[in-house]
Amino acid sequence: MPKAPATKSRKRVAPKKHVTTAIGTESLATGFVRADLVFDGLDHSGASFEARIFINNPDADANTEMTVQNRYAGKFHVFGHGGCFGDVGHCEVRGIPRPYDPRPAHPLTPMRKVVIATEALRREIKRSNGKGLTLTIVPIVRSGTVRCDYENVLKFDGVSVVTYA
Amino acid sequence: MANRLTLRQNIESLELTSSGLVAFRDAVAKMQALSADDNRSWMFLAGYHGFPQFQCWHGGRIGLNQQALTYDLFLPWHRAYLITMEHTLRDQNAAAALPWWDWTSSGSHRVGVPLAYSTRRIGKTPNPLINGPVPEVRSGRVPGLPPSPARKTTRAPGDPEDLPTADQVNSVLALTDFVDFSQQLQDIHDQVHGWTGGRNGDMGTIVFAGFDPIFFAHHCMIDRIWYLWQLRHGVQNVPPDYMNKPLAPFPLTVGDVLDIHRLGYEYAQASSSHD
Ligand SMILES: [Cu+2]
Repeated sequence: MPKAPATKSRKRVAPKKHVTTAIGTESLATGFVRADLVFDGLDHSGASFEARIFINNPDADANTEMTVQNRYAGKFHVFGHGGCFGDVGHCEVRGIPRPYDPRPAHPLTPMRKVVIATEALRREIKRSNGKGLTLTIVPIVRSGTVRCDYENVLKFDGVSVVTYA
Repeated sequence: MANRLTLRQNIESLELTSSGLVAFRDAVAKMQALSADDNRSWMFLAGYHGFPQFQCWHGGRIGLNQQALTYDLFLPWHRAYLITMEHTLRDQNAAAALPWWDWTSSGSHRVGVPLAYSTRRIGKTPNPLINGPVPEVRSGRVPGLPPSPARKTTRAPGDPEDLPTADQVNSVLALTDFVDFSQQLQDIHDQVHGWTGGRNGDMGTIVFAGFDPIFFAHHCMIDRIWYLWQLRHGVQNVPPDYMNKPLAPFPLTVGDVLDIHRLGYEYAQASSSHD
C-alpha cells in the first residue's frame, strides 16, 4: 500500500467495484492459444488505479488475495489524467472526429485496455460448466489529485472475451 | 564529437559522483533554475506533457475515417519528448545524457526509487533529481479548483516489491505485433507511474508527472524496452499508417523516431535480463 502523503488530504471514500452480467462462453473456441479480456470505453480522466479482475467471484474486494483459488484472472493499470486543470470546457471530450476533422481525437477519449488472461480463462471456462463468466473488477486507487472523484474511478462501456486460435 | 552517439546508461550503474551523473545533475539544475517562460527551462519542457499543454499520448485514440480503429502514439511520442529533453539538457551541459531506471532490478525491488533520485544532497549541494519545480496554477479556472502556488514535486512511492518484474517485461518483449506490444508495455508503464507518485505524488497522474525528474528515467526505461523489442522484431515495425503521423509539438513524425541511432543516441549494453 502507498505510504501516507506528507501533505494533508481529504478523507477518501473506497472506490466502487463493478460486477458484470454473465458473459456467455458457448461461442468461444476451447482450443485457443491466447485469450484476452478487452475493456472498451475506459475512462482515464481522473485518478490512477489498479483494477483486479476476478471471475465468478462476485464477493471479491480489495482485500481478496490474487490467487487461483479466488479465481483471480489478472489486472490492469490506469495512469489517469488527474482531473481537470483547465478552464470550463477544457476536458469535454469532443467525441469521434468527423471524417475530415484534421484534429486528433481529444486526449480524454476513453481508451481500450487488453488484459492477457489465457490460463485463467481456460481454467474458468472449464469450471463454469457453460454458465458463463461473471467478472468482478475491483479498483484500487494508487494516485490522484484534489480534482479526482475517487469513488467512481472505474468507468467503462463494456468488456469482452477475445480468443485467438 | 558531433558524429558520436550519446550513450544512455543505467542509473544504478553510475556512482553518485561519476562524471556522467555530475554532468546530468548540472544540466538538470541549470534547466530548473530558468524561469517557466524561458523555452529552455525545466518547467517549459515539463509543461509539454500534462499541465498546461497536454500534448502527451497515452492510450489509443479514434483514427480519422475509422470509427473503431484506434491508434496510439505512446511510444513514438515519448521518444520524441525524451530526445527533445536530452538535447535541451546537453545545451546546458554537453556531457549530459538521460539515464534509465530499471525498476525490475533487484536493487529497485529492495530500495524502490534509486539513490540518485532519492538522496537529498550530494556533498553540500541539493540534489536536483529529488524533485522539480511546478509553476503556479492560478485560481479562477474551473470552479472548485483551489489555486496552487509555485511548488516542488513530491512522491509517496509504494512497496518496492510491487514494482514490475523482469518476467513481466520479458513476456511483453515476446509479443510480435507492435500495437499489442505497445498496449502491454503501456500497462506496465502505468503501474510504475502510480507506484512512484503514490497517494498525492506528482508522478501518479498525467497532469504533473513530467515535472518530476524521475519521469525521464522511467520513460528512458520504457524507450529502451521498445529499442530491445525493435532489435528483435524490426526497427521499422509499426503499422504503415503510423509512419507519417506527426508527434506534436516536436518537428518529427513516427517514421523519424524509429531508428535511435539516427536520432543520435545509443543504450549502454547493460548486464540485463531482457536480452
Ligand atoms: Cu509516462
